[in-house]
Parts: sequence; structure tokens; C-alpha cells
Amino acid sequence: MVALICRDLDVDFPLYRGGSRSLKKFIVSKSTGGRLARDGADILTVKALSNINLELKKGDRLGIVGPNGAGKTTLLKVLAGIYSPSRGELISEGRVTALLTTTMGINPDATGRENIILRGIFMDVRPNVMERYIDDVAEFSGLGDFIDLPVKTYSSGMLVRLCLAASTCFAPEIVLMDEWLSAGDAAFLAKAQKRLSSYVENSSMLVLASHSLTLIREWCNRGIYLKDGRIAASGSIDEVIDIYEADFAASIDAG
Amino acid sequence: MTKPLKRHSEENSEYAQAWTDVVGGLTRVWMWRTMAFQDIRLRYRGSMLGPFWFTISTIIFLLAIGGIYSRLFDTPVNQYVPYLMIGFILWQYLSMTIVDGCNCFTSADAAIQEAALPYSVYILRAVARSFIIFLHSVIIIPIGLLIFDVPVSWGALVVIPAIVLIIINAIWVTAFFGLMSARYGDIPPIVANFVQVLFFVTPVFWHIDFLGKWERVAALNPFFAAIDIVRAPLVSESPNITSWPIMVGAAIFGCLLTFVIFARLRTRIPYWM
Repeated sequence: MVALICRDLDVDFPLYRGGSRSLKKFIVSKSTGGRLARDGADILTVKALSNINLELKKGDRLGIVGPNGAGKTTLLKVLAGIYSPSRGELISEGRVTALLTTTMGINPDATGRENIILRGIFMDVRPNVMERYIDDVAEFSGLGDFIDLPVKTYSSGMLVRLCLAASTCFAPEIVLMDEWLSAGDAAFLAKAQKRLSSYVENSSMLVLASHSLTLIREWCNRGIYLKDGRIAASGSIDEVIDIYEADFAASIDAG
Repeated sequence: MTKPLKRHSEENSEYAQAWTDVVGGLTRVWMWRTMAFQDIRLRYRGSMLGPFWFTISTIIFLLAIGGIYSRLFDTPVNQYVPYLMIGFILWQYLSMTIVDGCNCFTSADAAIQEAALPYSVYILRAVARSFIIFLHSVIIIPIGLLIFDVPVSWGALVVIPAIVLIIINAIWVTAFFGLMSARYGDIPPIVANFVQVLFFVTPVFWHIDFLGKWERVAALNPFFAAIDIVRAPLVSESPNITSWPIMVGAAIFGCLLTFVIFARLRTRIPYWM
């Protein structure tokens, strides 16, 4: 079964400001009953997400839209199991592949080949299993002989291609994607979309956060509009984008 | 691989989640072992001898200090050098475990922010890495024992449970200092300084007998206890009566305490990175 469910989910982000990370200030504040060096215990929290309710099933392709700082990446990280919700519940069933940053597990000094294995490790895939996919990854990413060179010699486009190819070399059930794809060129983007959409058609699930409304409109069938950590709108992708654009236009007029 | 790695739910208590995390780490031997070897390979990339540089620097240290201190302490070389050798090699392992253990989470910050692996994997990776490096200098010990013609009996096999006990302690020490260091940036330099001083205070290169009536106080030093349970049987001495109890007690108490701390803090680790 593949499912991703959030119920009344909140995420509070503790802000460890300079002072609160210092042991000295912590001890001073404890030993003086908090009167001195008050910032020792004073951890400011920011509500990054509040009251998120979401229920995704097989074949759902959810697009997350919203301005910078709305909580898009945080929500993806919660769905990926990286951040624990402060309150509420997350139920995730199925193998999650999170394409959040290009650099996951990437070691610039290691070769492309070694990095494919490394990426596998961080996806909980054994090196001997990952080995079998190296040729496929090399071919899909079009790296050719670069596969045996250290990754630090790669262009950023090549790195994105390697990472996307390595992350998606076997059918994921749930794909969480932040907008880093934009570093690829148009031809590769089309290739990537073809590969991902074949997965999505085969009963898996996609969650994509992006500023590119065209990309989202093209890839997704459902949408949510995140604003200040809350779901401001949800529904079909076209509805949500309309609301988002209207809101955006209104905020420009007001500003 | 088919099961979700982590699942957050209010039904599962933080202790149950922490337990799942620990089991998830312990059962993924391949994962942290591969990471540990990868760390070592990258640390010594471009060097021909790789981690054997560590072996060589250990030998040079032992020859220099062994030659001088056996005279200073007026102890025969063939008695002093084996004693120093085992003590120093173990000391290097213990200090590396603690000092590197502090960074077990902070050095994996990118991975922690991007992949939902059990946190215990990062702990075991640091433990394994230090142990693998230790094995590179351990080979000096049998060679040294042969050269200095130290008689070793079957009773010396007790070093195997002793090493296992040290590793159990290494796990909680790494977890404890790793968590503290992830939260408080001041911890790693404090630990590094403390460990540096401890080298001189711990009977590594001098014999605990030298202290006379203070011997019993010095024997309470857990670093001494760890060294003693391995070194004594190899140099045909019997370990101090407090050494095994200290190590067993530290393992039980340390694991329990650290598990509670780990359970309560583990979900905050990604926020500290």
C-alpha cells in the first residue's frame, strides 16, 4: 500500500540563536536561576508549518506552490521523515525517494561511479544492488567517461543529471521533489519527466514543490497553496494555481 | 528497503521510536561499515600508505618514548616497551573514539538534512571508523610481543571479551558526546583538551604502582580501567580488581543513560544541524 497522510501536523522550528547554543551561557543561566544570561534558555521557536492536513493516494501528483518561506521545503522534509512533526501525525507507507537537494550523499572527491554507490547507501540500498544500476545511470545521465572522474570536475548540470538518474534508477513508490531540477537543460528535463511520469503512472506518488507554475501544471494533478506555513488552498492543480496567482496579484496591488 | 525507514506518530512513544532507530542501525551493518570505510578511504586519498601512516607514526612514537622513558623510569626495555606499546595503542583508540565521536552527527549534517536514515547509523559509523583505524596499529602488538620475547599464555584470550566491552562503551560514549556536540558547539574543543591532559594523568606510559598510596584513586579512572583489562593479561599481570567492575558498570549505566538522552533528543538532531 502506498499512502501519505498528515493529520493536524505542526512543525515548530527552534531558532538556536548565537547565545542559546553556548554551553557557558546555558550553565550561567542555570546556575543563576535564569536571571543572568537569559538567552541561555531563551529559544525562540518559529511555527514553520501549522495545521497541515493532507491525504495522498496512489497516482496522486501533488504540486506545492507558495512564496519563499511558505514552508514548501519544510513540508517535503517532514514527508520524507527528516523532520519530526512537533504535533500531529504523519503516516507514510511505501518507499520514499526524496530528491531535495542535488548534494545528498555526494562526495566531491569521489568519482561518479563511487557517488552512485554512496547515494544508494543514503537511500538504504546496498552497494551490491546499486552496482547493477551503474550502467543504466551512466547511460541515462549521458555522462560517458566522466563517470570515472571525481565529481568535483562536473558541471552543475552534470551533477544534477547524475543525482536524478541515481535517485530514480529503480521505481520509487513516493517521490518527493524540490525544485532543484531546474538546473538541468530542457532536453534532460524532458527525459527526466518521461522517466518520472512512467513511475507515477505505475501507481506511485509524486510531491513536487516549485516556483515554476508551468512545470507544476504539467506534472501535477492536485495542488496545495502554502502560505505562512498553512494550507491556504487545496484542490485540483488548476484551481490552486488560479487562487495563488490571484492572491499574488492582489499582494502586488496592495504593496 | 521496502519498509519506511521512520514513522512518526503520536501513538509511538519516543522510547519506542528510539528503540526502532537503534535496531535499525544495528541491523544495517553493511551501511555503517561501508560509510566507515569510505570515510577512511577519503581521509587518506592520494596517500600511498593510507591509514598505515598511523601505524608508522605509532611505531616512531613508541621507539622514541620507549627508549627514553625506560631509562627515566629505570625499567628494562624489554619490559617497558611492551607495556608502553599496548597502553599507547589502546590510548590512541580511546582518545580517537571520543574526539571523533563528538562529530558523529555534525560531520554528517548534510546527510541528516537530506536522508531519513536511523540516527544510530551515524553513531555506529564513527565507532566502526575508529575501530578500523585502531586495527591498523593493533598489528604492532603481536610483532612487538615477539620481538621483546614476552610470554603470552592462553589466559590472554580474555582480551577478546575485554575489547568487546570497550566497544560497547565506545558506542554510548560516541552517542553521548555526539548528541552533546550537536547541541553545544563548545563540547568538541572541551573534550579534545580534556583528553590531551588525561593522557598524562592516566597510567599509559607509566606504571600505576608508581603512585604508591594514590594507586587506588588512579585506578578509578575509566580510561585506565579500559587499558588495564587488555594490557594486564598480555604482559602477564592481573588487572586491577576495580578495572572489570568499572568497565561493566560504565557499559550498563552509560548505555541506559544515553538511551534515555537519545530517545528524548533524537528528533531534534536535524534542527541542530
